[in-house]
Amino acid sequence: MKLYKKEGNILQILSFPNETIEKGDYLLIEDGDNATKALIVQVISVQFANIPGILEELLRSLPDGGELMQGEDFDPLEIAPHITYIQDARLLTCKIRATVENESLSPSSSWLPSRSRSAIKKLPIPTLFKLGKTDGKLPIILGGTKDASLLTIDASSLDGRLNIITGKKETGKSHLSKLLIPNLVRYGATVVVFDLNGEYVSLGMTADGKRNAYHHKIHVLTPSQNFKVSLKQLHLHVLLSILIHALHLPGTSAREFRRIWRSLKEMGTLTIRELGEAIRNWRCNQHVRDALFSRYYALVNSGFFSDNVAEAMLLEESLFRAKKEGGAIIINLRNTSSIDRQIVVEYLLGRLVELLKSWKLKAIFLFAEEAHLYLRETYWDDIVTRMRHFGIFTTFVTNQPDTIRQNIYRQADNIFLFNFTNEHDLEVVSRAARVDAETVKSIARDLPPHYCLALGKVVRDFPMVVKVKALDVKTMGETRLFFKDMN
Amino acid sequence: MHSLKHVQNQPFQLNQQTFQQNSQERIQTARIELQHIPLERRPEETVVAAVDTSSMKIGETSKGILIAVRGASVWKQKRNYRYLRLGPFIFHITEENRKEVYNILQMTCFNSSHEQKRQSSPRLFQMPTRIANLLERWLQNMLSKTVSNGLILFDGSLTSGIADTPSQRMKKILDNTRKRDNVVLAFSKMTTLRFNGYLITDVLLGYKPPYLFELSGLKPKPPIVLLGDVYVARLTKGNYAFRLDIDKEVPVERRVESIEKLLGNDLFSQSYPETLRLAHIFCTFTANEVIAMQHFISRKYNLKIINRPDMHRLLFGPFGKGESCS
Repeated sequence: MKLYKKEGNILQILSFPNETIEKGDYLLIEDGDNATKALIVQVISVQFANIPGILEELLRSLPDGGELMQGEDFDPLEIAPHITYIQDARLLTCKIRATVENESLSPSSSWLPSRSRSAIKKLPIPTLFKLGKTDGKLPIILGGTKDASLLTIDASSLDGRLNIITGKKETGKSHLSKLLIPNLVRYGATVVVFDLNGEYVSLGMTADGKRNAYHHKIHVLTPSQNFKVSLKQLHLHVLLSILIHALHLPGTSAREFRRIWRSLKEMGTLTIRELGEAIRNWRCNQHVRDALFSRYYALVNSGFFSDNVAEAMLLEESLFRAKKEGGAIIINLRNTSSIDRQIVVEYLLGRLVELLKSWKLKAIFLFAEEAHLYLRETYWDDIVTRMRHFGIFTTFVTNQPDTIRQNIYRQADNIFLFNFTNEHDLEVVSRAARVDAETVKSIARDLPPHYCLALGKVVRDFPMVVKVKALDVKTMGETRLFFKDMN
Repeated sequence: MHSLKHVQNQPFQLNQQTFQQNSQERIQTARIELQHIPLERRPEETVVAAVDTSSMKIGETSKGILIAVRGASVWKQKRNYRYLRLGPFIFHITEENRKEVYNILQMTCFNSSHEQKRQSSPRLFQMPTRIANLLERWLQNMLSKTVSNGLILFDGSLTSGIADTPSQRMKKILDNTRKRDNVVLAFSKMTTLRFNGYLITDVLLGYKPPYLFELSGLKPKPPIVLLGDVYVARLTKGNYAFRLDIDKEVPVERRVESIEKLLGNDLFSQSYPETLRLAHIFCTFTANEVIAMQHFISRKYNLKIINRPDMHRLLFGPFGKGESCS
């Protein structure tokens, strides 16, 4: 390999056919004169070198109506392999990631090694991580890198962070979430999952249906079945949030509801039944009463509210058990309607904030699949600013990157990017602050299924392509197929 | 100024290539006459074969020059083109070894170094074209001995008696072709022969192609010998015509028949036969190949390639346009 050109923080390197370099690989450029200094660059694009005369060469080989012309070459000096060698030369476009000086890394790209005397070699991932000092105390093996070494991240790099897992359908996003969740639980973390399609409910089971090591730490809560709440447990502002944001209750009606609530609380009769009665008998405008009644019936019909306090304790119980020994609370939203989903999420987020504010919980890792389907507009900013300070560390999982707001991308600490071919999707993801647009667009487009580009703090800002390791977990996220049994 | 006044209001051509040979200037054209010969396609199956070679200087050493030579013969048979490509052959030519190299090559190709004893060996800068010419004649000779009842296309004229084309050698090649009932058709891409002051290939007489003009009355000055009769061939529509030399020893009817068979058996682009075009394409060096040869030399013989500073650029900056303008 030979150093060819530098523009900004992009280096172009000439590579020859016997050097097998792929997109995503890291290279170490050592200066011939300055042995203590070296550049670490990452290959983001591999192209054929622009060899003069190549077009003539190709045209010459296809002059007979597009078919290869038959003939013999007598090449006594064996120049042909040299021609092939030159023809197949590649131009590697590389991003400068760091400078190594005296075995420590700095993100500087101001220094340039010698073009003629530099030695360029492939940098093995373990060596890179050793240089980057990424070895932590809470390792999570994500999978294998291209050079067959394991990519291990540290659980603490997810702690207090905002993460995004995105990629097009069937590329392995949920698979990665399912890998991260048990590992976080293993280290004693409390994880809450908004499980839209019931994919995570079998996280405690092996592929052959047996209980795995995490079985007792996986708590599946299905709204209106084993997950209910009683009004007595609720704070007024949580219920008002549900009424205003999920059920769109107008302001005037909300004021009346507040009065009704206080009245019932004073009387000690905060039950669903009594709430219905109070609305019926409350002296107020008929339109307000109608508005309150319609929301009341929405709450009742959700089946999520119960007057039986005993059956409304499972969330707290699960959370406190998880706090003690680590655990994942899977909120199974599979058969929940859109409005009920919003009610559940509003309640849960409100309740979590309460518990975190009062330090009953230390912090939780929240995994939100396709959050745009249940998260109201104002929560996006809340999650990246306010809730993070309370200790809700969110991981968004989506196959529609444009449903996540731009500011979320800008503030994301870690992004696990699976394959995208759509330009628009790549454009959205490339706005992430932790990586340059060229890297995202160039590498993500060519990622095979189950390969992901890890970006951000988990990889110490060295974008890394990894094949996510297989899981021994019962899969529940498979798409139902009509022709499945016919094949 | 006086000379320019004579060309007022006339078109002039840019990028006209310069001639390496000046043999054509030694042909008297004062009494030239043109005779129109219309042509028809004859689709009778006939082998069409062509030869071409190319040479180039690929570098300089402190003692001499590095040159590469390659030759190609292409033939069309049963609607398919096939090729045989020889080379590249790379030589390091110095003032000391140029004579020896040239003699060895002559001896190898034609067993005839004695033939050249009367002539001085080529000068260093002439060596690439002269070695290529040796290879071309050898390839032509090989074709003449292997093809039967076919048409053999040469690149250039059938003018001999010049340094790189001794008459005896050319005559021998033509004899061999005739022995196997072949006809040699030599196409020149350029000519300096003029009729009424115009290049013979620019003479437009309003006939519908394909046709030939036979040029009679050409008188070469010794030692130049014309081994063929000269024609202007316009074989397809368009403004392109070529000088065509056909072996003098071939009867006139057979000559016309041959060119008609060529029309019926080969493809034509701008009046130029495809077989000959392919031979040219296959032997020409592309920039990529030049780099590959330089790579080969530097790897195998550990030669370091140095770009000699361009003195024109060095002295005159943007006004120095390179040695070709000197």
